[in-house]
Amino acid sequence: MSEPRPPRPPLSHLAERFAIDRRRFLMASGGALGAAVLAACDSMGPKSAARLLRFAERKNESLERVLFRHTSMDVPAAGAKAAGSHFPAYFISKHVPVWDEATRGVWRLQVGGMVQRPLSLSLADLASLPRTGYRLDHFCVEGWTAVATRTGVALADLARLAGVQPGAQYVDFESFDDDYHESWDIDSAMHPQTLVVYAQDGHYLNAAWGAPARIYSPVKIGYKNTKYLTRIMFLPRRTGGYWSDQGYEWYGGV
Amino acid sequence: MKKRHHAVVRITHWVNVVALTIMVGSGLRIFNAYPAFARRGETFCCYPFERKPIPASLTFGGWLAGARNWHFAMMWVLVVNGLVYLGFVYTHGEWRDLVPRRGIVRDAWEMVRFYVTVRKDHPRQGKHNALQRLVYFSFPIVGALAVITGIAIWKPVQLAWLTNLMGGYVWARYWHFLAMLLLVALTFGHVFMVFAVDPYSMVAMVTGNYKERWSPEERNARPFVHLLPQPEQPNSPSP
Repeated sequence: MSEPRPPRPPLSHLAERFAIDRRRFLMASGGALGAAVLAACDSMGPKSAARLLRFAERKNESLERVLFRHTSMDVPAAGAKAAGSHFPAYFISKHVPVWDEATRGVWRLQVGGMVQRPLSLSLADLASLPRTGYRLDHFCVEGWTAVATRTGVALADLARLAGVQPGAQYVDFESFDDDYHESWDIDSAMHPQTLVVYAQDGHYLNAAWGAPARIYSPVKIGYKNTKYLTRIMFLPRRTGGYWSDQGYEWYGGV
Repeated sequence: MKKRHHAVVRITHWVNVVALTIMVGSGLRIFNAYPAFARRGETFCCYPFERKPIPASLTFGGWLAGARNWHFAMMWVLVVNGLVYLGFVYTHGEWRDLVPRRGIVRDAWEMVRFYVTVRKDHPRQGKHNALQRLVYFSFPIVGALAVITGIAIWKPVQLAWLTNLMGGYVWARYWHFLAMLLLVALTFGHVFMVFAVDPYSMVAMVTGNYKERWSPEERNARPFVHLLPQPEQPNSPSP
């Protein structure tokens, strides 16, 4: 009978050494992870990722276009209160953009590009066209929503009036708020809830909300909806936009 | 030396660490553009910190558009990675170590009793103890909730049925936020226990290898107690 004695095979030595390395490894990896997190905080991420992000954006757009239906309509919650005077005002000019009739003449909305009959409509012309109105959600890119009743002319009606040609796949909405504009895919533009709006909550638009007319559709995020409208151009290719050129999604679908 | 985690589990685990970190950081940056839930002109019942932005140091993306681009790209990594993990765990039978089984409440209670030193010896409950099972099982469920509520606020018009299921856009946004908080809380609990009880599991999640005598059961480890492994014991008398 022999005494049990602790065998010390070399493997166990290795394991013990490994145990210390493990602690070092943990500390090193913890430190590296911490440093990486600190470096990443509030940053825009690595520059090289920009191409990947653009690729993802294009893929997302394709998916969003597949999901898109003209029959999907926005219906605000029944109990939702209208934002009324709480509806935010937003423009890029230094001051509220106001159409100055003295220097620019009477405001008219131009409809042009790939159309058979270019239109030039005064506010009175617009108001005399068949009226479409909806109580609609507004989805701002910042994350807030607001409910308002929007009244105007369905863009699809204007397009029929102008006789849009089949090659027109995009629409650009221009404004007199500096160089603000945004271009859309034609599908979203022809959604029944896409309106050339001249009244909000039953009153003609005021200057803070985009007078005399603006585009509004719940199928696009707020920034795609050009205010202070001057011209609607039907085009064969997309023309970017004020915010989409700066990094916001061009499609901006809801 | 025992194989504890399959390569698929290890890779999806670390991809998830990166994806989730970026999703949370960019999500908080997006949230900061309107750190509130109320519809304009209304009030919201259930968020006491309205209008108080999250500290910028906890956010990622730099600005709203940057954060949105990261969020909408990384969401695919998160979803695909999650599906690969779940698919693997399902087809390889690993789910048996993860789903709650009969007696889980009693087992969890035994773990709590051990951690508060009422019970002296570490309960032996298989690969993962009951508390771990509860966390590891909840994680994909809460993750799925985060994804579904995320889709609801991404497409509130085209997928209005989904958004309405969540109680509308305002509530969907709120549930998305809560799902994120829950994921962060579960992650903090998990990471705390890794460092305080079983740092060797970190090796296992990197190399896949583990030794029985490193385990909390063998060390009788509570948080910050018995962190070092047991010395190797002679297992049989030599002839």
